[in-house]
Amino acid sequence: MNKFRMALTVYRKEIVDALRDRRTLLTVLASSVLMGPAVLVAISALVATLESRAELRQVYVVGMEHAPSLKNFFERQTYTVKAAPADFEAQLRGAKLADPVVVIPKGFEAALLRGEAPVVEVVVDSANQRSQAGAARIERLLSGFGRERATLTLALRGVSVDLLEPLQVEDRDLASTQTRATQITGMLPYFVMMAVLYGALNAALDTTAGERERGSLEPLLMNPLDRWVLVLGKWAAVASVGMLIAVLSSLSFLPGQWVLRSDTLAAMFQYGLREASMFLVVLLPFAAAVSAVLMAVAIRCKTFKEAQASATVVMLAASLLPLINVFSLGSESPWYLWVPALAQNVLMTHVLKGEPLGAAQIAVPLLVCVALTVLGVWFVARSLRSAAVR
Amino acid sequence: MITIEHLAKEFRVPVAATKKAGGLAWPGRSASSRIVHAVRDVSFDAPEGRITGLLGPNGAGKTTTLRMLAGLITPDAGHMSVDGIDVVTQAGAALARMGMLSDARGLYPRLTARENIVYYGRLQGMEPDAANARAEQLAQMFEMNALLDRRTDGFSQGERMKTALARALVHDPANIVLDEPTNGLDVLATRALRESLRWLRSPEGGAKCIVFSTHIMQEVERLCDGVVVVSHGRTVASGTVDDLLEQTGQTDFEEAFVRLAFSADERAHHEVAGPT
Repeated sequence: MNKFRMALTVYRKEIVDALRDRRTLLTVLASSVLMGPAVLVAISALVATLESRAELRQVYVVGMEHAPSLKNFFERQTYTVKAAPADFEAQLRGAKLADPVVVIPKGFEAALLRGEAPVVEVVVDSANQRSQAGAARIERLLSGFGRERATLTLALRGVSVDLLEPLQVEDRDLASTQTRATQITGMLPYFVMMAVLYGALNAALDTTAGERERGSLEPLLMNPLDRWVLVLGKWAAVASVGMLIAVLSSLSFLPGQWVLRSDTLAAMFQYGLREASMFLVVLLPFAAAVSAVLMAVAIRCKTFKEAQASATVVMLAASLLPLINVFSLGSESPWYLWVPALAQNVLMTHVLKGEPLGAAQIAVPLLVCVALTVLGVWFVARSLRSAAVR
Repeated sequence: MITIEHLAKEFRVPVAATKKAGGLAWPGRSASSRIVHAVRDVSFDAPEGRITGLLGPNGAGKTTTLRMLAGLITPDAGHMSVDGIDVVTQAGAALARMGMLSDARGLYPRLTARENIVYYGRLQGMEPDAANARAEQLAQMFEMNALLDRRTDGFSQGERMKTALARALVHDPANIVLDEPTNGLDVLATRALRESLRWLRSPEGGAKCIVFSTHIMQEVERLCDGVVVVSHGRTVASGTVDDLLEQTGQTDFEEAFVRLAFSADERAHHEVAGPT
């Protein structure tokens, strides 16, 4: 009981100390709270432009005068034909023009009548993503024109149109609306984890390497309390800061939803209190483990600056490991759950897809986090004495 | 009452890298390390109601000795006790009976002086009210009432020193250990510290046992009742200032100290090498 009170004393002091570091705290808090809405606004703006492009139903053409029949087809499909600007290639490269451009050669109409299959170019810049997105739509439109011509020609010769299509192809998409949405919202777990990491970083370094740099660790250890009690109090304070950031950033997506500009995205991105609490189930143990690991790394360093350099390794690992999930394109291996940072990313992606989390899925990463925490706290407690005098 | 008998401690220092960045030492690789005898044989008694000066040149082993007394380093050999409590086997109980002002005396810059002092009181097991009352009492004694509720961020050396000393004495320990307390202090702050220590030694101040390490002999002359001269990790002499003068046949304490602390060879070497 007495040990618990000691740990609580250390905890209170560390929390007060961390909360008084206003500038750092405000920066971290503001970025974690504003992050949710900001990311959602950016995504929804992108989706909204793509949607509005499709709704506009316009096609940019060079040399429309060479192809009256194609113009007629475009107009029957309720498309507006617009003359492309003269420097359309430069504009596409510079991403100023957001639509693909159809280039019709001279003598198109005559060649078409002679059955010479004239070449129509659809000009895009694959580095210009918006023009790329419209290309498929324009190509579908052009092949529609081709099919119509062929049908007419065959019909004139008394051949059945069915001969052209010996089989029928139909798409059946098994993905739910939410699953499809994760193609766009897939990076959200990543942002949340980064917020937790950076939230815990400063506090973890301050209570270890910072304490050494100030020369306050040596006098601190001259008090008659067990080192593990001291470390436990410190760790609990750092973990609390990390968890606070986790809570704030998970909740920040709730109001973030209201600012979604695209209706489709709003329908696809289902994020309510249930999802937020599932995020926390995944993130809170992660915040605890990350705090312990960062403290363990920093206790070996004499100065805050040196500790920041060493902590970069942890930060880098935590930011690269989730990419395994991103690059594996949805095919998960069971070992993912045993890797910290990666496991959290996998689970949060499941939550966003609207899939339930199984007990084993939660238990394995939890076990890993508990092990990391115990290991980190033990290591700091063990190193504390030698760190104080060196 | 602090008793130290035949204390010894050696460190393994890697030879190739004298200053290792990460502090990562591999004790197993003995091929590239050499042994430094920080403390070879240090013994002294520091009784109650007296100020005992631990005098020695830089690198003599004073700080290592005091760190062992604080339980930060485990000695290789020897015995230390505080009021009869063994420091190695009952570290907590021994620390509770000591107020230590170490070489490093960092404060928490975002906490006020009062919070710094009360935090240590709480870690010593005091109730919040008792710790707070004691902080005010100490502030009265060190004339730092005006500082008490300011954050320690902008404190001067002297103000820091007072806060650190108050922090070390918050649990009213019977034994006070100070490692080079006058380092970085100006004349007035040094005087104030001397006055405080004299008062703590007196029966009204609690007749504390005070151990005071320094490399400045004038301080020892002015303040200490007993002197322990440490050199190359050994106790080379002990007694009052007059005892040591008599022992070396000198009238000047500085000369007496140099004769006790350095060998004839070292003295000759310095006279040749140093500017004349």
